[in-house]
Amino acid sequence: MNSKNETDEASRGNEASSSENFTPNISEEQPTSSLCSGTAVNHTQDIMKRTAARQLIERYFYQLLDGCGKPNCDNQYCASSGEARNLSPNEAAAEAIKLFYKEARLCDTLPSKVPRTEASASNSDAGTMCATSEPTKEKSDIKKQEQLATSSSTSHKESTSKEVEPQASHNVSQNKTKTDSHSNGAPLTEERIYELCDICLQSKKREPLIRALGEAFTQPAILSRCFATKLSEGNGNEGEKKTERDSKKISMSSDPDKDVDSITGPGLDVASCRRAFQYLAKVPSEYYSSALVLALKTLADYMELDLRITKRMSIEEVVNCFLIAFEVPDLGCSDYLEIALPALCRAAEHLPLKAQAKLARLWAQHCKDSLRHILETLQQLITLRVISTNYTRQFQVQDDENVTMATKLMKIVYYANMLAGDMESNTLREEPIVIPNQQDPLENVLDHLYPPTSMKSSKNSQPDDPLAIELNINVLDARKPCLPFEEFYNELLSDTIEMDIDFGNYKTEISKGRKFAFLKYPFILTPATKSLGLYYENRIRMYSERRVSLLHAVVGASPPMPFLRLKVRRTHIIDDALVELEMVSMERALDLKKQLVVEFEGEQGVDEGGVSKEFFQLIVEEIFNPDYGMFTQQADSQTVWFNPTSFETDAQFTLIGIVLGLAIYNNIILAVNFPMVVYRKLMGKKGSFEDLADWNPALHSGLKDMLEYTGSDLEEVYYQTFRICYQDVFGNNIFHDLKEDGDNIFVTQENKKEFVDLYADFLLNSSVETQFRAFRRGFLMVTDESPLAALFRPEEVETLVCGSKNFDFNELEKSTEYDGYTADSQTIKDFWSIVHSLDLDDKRKLLQFTTGSDRVPVGGLSHLKLVIARHGPDCDRLPTAHTCFNVLLLPEYDTREKLRDRLMKAISYSKGFGML
Amino acid sequence: MAATRRLQKELNDIRQSGLKSFRDIQVDESNILTWQGLIVPDNPPYNKGAFRIEINFPAEYPFKPPKISFKTKIYHPNIDEKGQVCLPIISAENWKPATKTDQVIQALVALVNDPEPEHPLRAELAEEFLKDRKKFTKNAEEFTKKYSEKRPTD
Repeated sequence: MNSKNETDEASRGNEASSSENFTPNISEEQPTSSLCSGTAVNHTQDIMKRTAARQLIERYFYQLLDGCGKPNCDNQYCASSGEARNLSPNEAAAEAIKLFYKEARLCDTLPSKVPRTEASASNSDAGTMCATSEPTKEKSDIKKQEQLATSSSTSHKESTSKEVEPQASHNVSQNKTKTDSHSNGAPLTEERIYELCDICLQSKKREPLIRALGEAFTQPAILSRCFATKLSEGNGNEGEKKTERDSKKISMSSDPDKDVDSITGPGLDVASCRRAFQYLAKVPSEYYSSALVLALKTLADYMELDLRITKRMSIEEVVNCFLIAFEVPDLGCSDYLEIALPALCRAAEHLPLKAQAKLARLWAQHCKDSLRHILETLQQLITLRVISTNYTRQFQVQDDENVTMATKLMKIVYYANMLAGDMESNTLREEPIVIPNQQDPLENVLDHLYPPTSMKSSKNSQPDDPLAIELNINVLDARKPCLPFEEFYNELLSDTIEMDIDFGNYKTEISKGRKFAFLKYPFILTPATKSLGLYYENRIRMYSERRVSLLHAVVGASPPMPFLRLKVRRTHIIDDALVELEMVSMERALDLKKQLVVEFEGEQGVDEGGVSKEFFQLIVEEIFNPDYGMFTQQADSQTVWFNPTSFETDAQFTLIGIVLGLAIYNNIILAVNFPMVVYRKLMGKKGSFEDLADWNPALHSGLKDMLEYTGSDLEEVYYQTFRICYQDVFGNNIFHDLKEDGDNIFVTQENKKEFVDLYADFLLNSSVETQFRAFRRGFLMVTDESPLAALFRPEEVETLVCGSKNFDFNELEKSTEYDGYTADSQTIKDFWSIVHSLDLDDKRKLLQFTTGSDRVPVGGLSHLKLVIARHGPDCDRLPTAHTCFNVLLLPEYDTREKLRDRLMKAISYSKGFGML
Repeated sequence: MAATRRLQKELNDIRQSGLKSFRDIQVDESNILTWQGLIVPDNPPYNKGAFRIEINFPAEYPFKPPKISFKTKIYHPNIDEKGQVCLPIISAENWKPATKTDQVIQALVALVNDPEPEHPLRAELAEEFLKDRKKFTKNAEEFTKKYSEKRPTD
C-alpha cells in the first residue's frame, strides 16, 4: 500500500511544479488516496500495455472538460462545441471511459494549455475522483506529457509542431509558474542538492526539493547538463564556442568535438552526481521518491520519443541522461521498478549503437561501483515481471516487452562489466581451423524439392553481436569481469522460458530479425537452460541428417546409416572406436553429426543413450590414463594435459577431439579433467599467463612473485635466463630457449613481462601446438556449425562437458521420483539413509551404476531425473538399473542390512551390461 | 647445464661460504636438480649425529619451490617416518622465488634444532615432546645414536 499513496502524492508533487495554487494538505488526503489507488495499482501491473488506452481516455477527459479550444468546434463530445453539457470532473472521467469504448470522435487539437482548473479540481475533488481513479491518477502525468508532447502514439500535427520548441515553451510556463526564483531551468549541481536536502531536512518542507528534482529529471536537456564537470582553465576557448551554441541550445558544458572529452565523460562529473545522490538519501525517501519516479518516467518517455522520431538530442546528452538516471539510488518503492525502470529500458532500446557503446564505456569507466546496483535492479524488474505474469503459449515471456527490454539494457551492462574488469588483448587467438563444408550431394536435391523449414539450421555461423563489434570486445578476453558472470544469470527467467519457442525465435531471427530470442542474450540464461537450446539444435541437425538418408533409400542409392553406429568390443574399446571413428571422419565426416548409437559386441543393451554413456566413460578412462601416453597428469592441479612428447599421431588427437565433440553433441557428460585453458583454446583463445593459474598454480604464483618483485637487483636475485627447463613424462629434463640465444639473455626488470608471456606461451601453446591443433580440429568437425561458441563461455562449456562439480544428494533425493514406491516407503527411507552415509567414492559409484556416468549433470543432481522403481518383493536379486533412463530397479528388501549389502554389491561390480 | 644457471650459482655460493651446519654436498653432474647433503644440528638431542637430506628442485625452479626429504631416520615431531618435512618457507603458498637455497637450509636446520610441536607431522611425538620432555629426549638420543650418520670432522 505504501507505494500506492506515493504515486498519488507524487502526482501532486509534480503538479506543484507547474501550478501555483497547490495546497499542501497531503496528510489529510492520504487515507482516501491510499484506498482508492488500490484499483490504480492493479492497473500499474500492465501499465505499459495500457498507456495508449490511458492517454486516449485522458484526452477524452480533457476534451469533455475544457474543449479543444477551437471556437467553432462541431464535436458533440467536446466542451468547446458547447454541445457537451458542463460536467463535473468526476462525471467527465466516467464519460471519458465510455467514450473510449465507443471510440468516439476526438478533436484534432488538444487543449492548448493544461487546464488551469485541473490542479485545483484534482485537489479539491481528490476524494470523489477516486471512484474513477484512473484519470485522476494520470492527470498529472498527462499534463507533463502534453507539455512535453511525448504522447507518441497519439501525437498530432499540432502537438508535434509544439515540440519544435519545447524548451522555449517550457521556460515560458516555468517562468510563469515559478514564484521561487532559484530554479529557472538551471541544471542541478551537487551543491544545489545539498542545499535543497538541508532545507527539506530542517524545515520538513519537501516542495523545493521535489520541484527541483522534478524539473531537472523531466527534461533531458536540463538533466544532461546537471552535475557538470567544473571547467578548468585549460578549456579557454570553451567560452567562445559556448556562446555560439548558446544561441541555439546549450547542449553541454564540454566540447564533444574533442575526442578525449567525449570518451571520458562529456561534462558529466559522475562522482559529484553520486555524492549528491548519497546526500539525497539522507532525506527520507518517501519525501521525494514518487516524484522522482514520475519524473524519470516522463524523462524516459521523452527520450524514447526523441530517440525514435525527432532525434534532436546529441548522443552525449542522451548518454548523460542515462548515466544520471541510473545513478539514482534505490528508491525502495515498487513504483520505481514498475514504472520508471521499464520506461528507461524502453528508451534505452532505441539508443543508436554508438550511444550504446558510449554508455557501456562510460559505465565501465566511471560507474564501476554502480554496475552491481544497475544489474540488480534490472534483475529485480525481470524477476518481478516473471513472477507476476502468467505466461501461456500465446503470450510467451519473449513477448513481454518489460522483460525483453530490460534484457536488452542488461546487455549494455554486461559489456560494461567486461570493460570494467580485466581485459586481455584480443590478439591471442588460435588460428582458425576451417572445416571444409561437407554436404551430401543428395541433400541439395532434397532442399530443392522440399525446401527445409526455417527451423533448419543455417549453414552460416551466427553473426556477432553488433555492439560487441562496436566495442571491439569478446567475452573470451574478459579475464576478470568487474562482477562475476554468474550474477547475470536469471534463474527464474531461465526456468520460465520455453526453450523450444525461444529456439525457434533464435533461428528465425537470423533471417527476419523479428522475434525476440533470449538465446541472443545468452548471458542471462543459466547453462542448464542454454544446454537445452543446444540440445534442440543438435536434435534438429540429427533429424535433418536422417531425412537425407531416407531420400537415399528412396532413390535406391546405397542408403547411408541414419545413425552414427559404432560397434566395439569391450576388450578393445579404444582400438575399435578409434579405427571406426577414423574411417568415418575420413570417408563421411558428415556422419559425425548423426545420432550416435553404440553397440558392444556380444551384449544385448539397446542404445537409447545408456550404452553410449558407458562407452564414453570407458573410452575417456582409458585415453586419459597417463600410461596411454597421450595425456599427462598434472600433479598439483589434478588436471590432464597434452603430452608434448607423445608418440601418438595427430589422427589420434583428432579422434579425441571428435569424442569430446560427440559427447557435447549427444548430451553426454564426461569424466575429463582438463584445465580451463583447454576450453578457452577450443573456443579460439590462446593460452596466456593468467591461464597458468589453474594449469599449474605453483608455477603461476612463482612467476607472479617475480612480476611483483620491484628491486633493481632482479637480475642477480633470480639469475634467470630466457632458457627454461621442463620435464617430460619420463622425468628427463628438457631445456628450451624462449628466444634465440636465450641462455645468454638474463631476465631483468625491463624484460620480465616478456619472459613470463613467452614462458606461458611456450607451455600452453607452442609446446603442444601440433597435438592441440589436431585435437581442436576433431572437436570442430562435430561442433563447427553449432551455436556452441555463441552461447557458451569457456567456463560453461566445461560444465557442459564434465557436469557441475557438486554432489548434492539431498537435491537428488528431493527430485527423485518413485514407481511402485512412495517417498514414505520404508525401503526408500532406508535407501536414502544408506546413500547419505556413503562416502564420496561410493556415491560416485552409485551414480555410475544408476546413470552410467559418475558426473553431475549441468544444473546439479536435481536435473538427473532419477526414478526408483519397485522390482518385486524381497528376494535375493541385486538391484539393477536402466542407465538410459536413469531408473534404479530396487526389490523391496526386508531389512535395511540386506538393502545395504545388495546395493553395495551392485555398485561395486557395476561394469558391463546384461542380465543378472 | 647452463640452463640452471641460478642453481649452479647457488651451489657454488653455498660451497664457497662453507655452511657449518650443511656439509658434504653432493650433486650428480648429470642432474643438478637433485642435491644431497648432511645436516649437522647443534642442539641436543640431535647434536650427536648428522642427517642426510635430499633436495629436489623442480624443472621450473626457482618459480616452483624445492622439496626436501630426510634420508636418515630422525625422531622429530616435524619430520615423518618417510622423511618428509613440512617447512613453511618452501610450501607452495609461501614460496618466494627470490628465496635462496641457503636460506631454506638454514630454516631447516633451525627447525631440526628447535622442533615446533604446534605444527607436528607426527602428533604422538609432539605430544611426548610437550608432556614428557625427558622421555622424548631420551628416545630421540637413542634414535640418533642408532640411525644417524657420523658427523664430519674438519
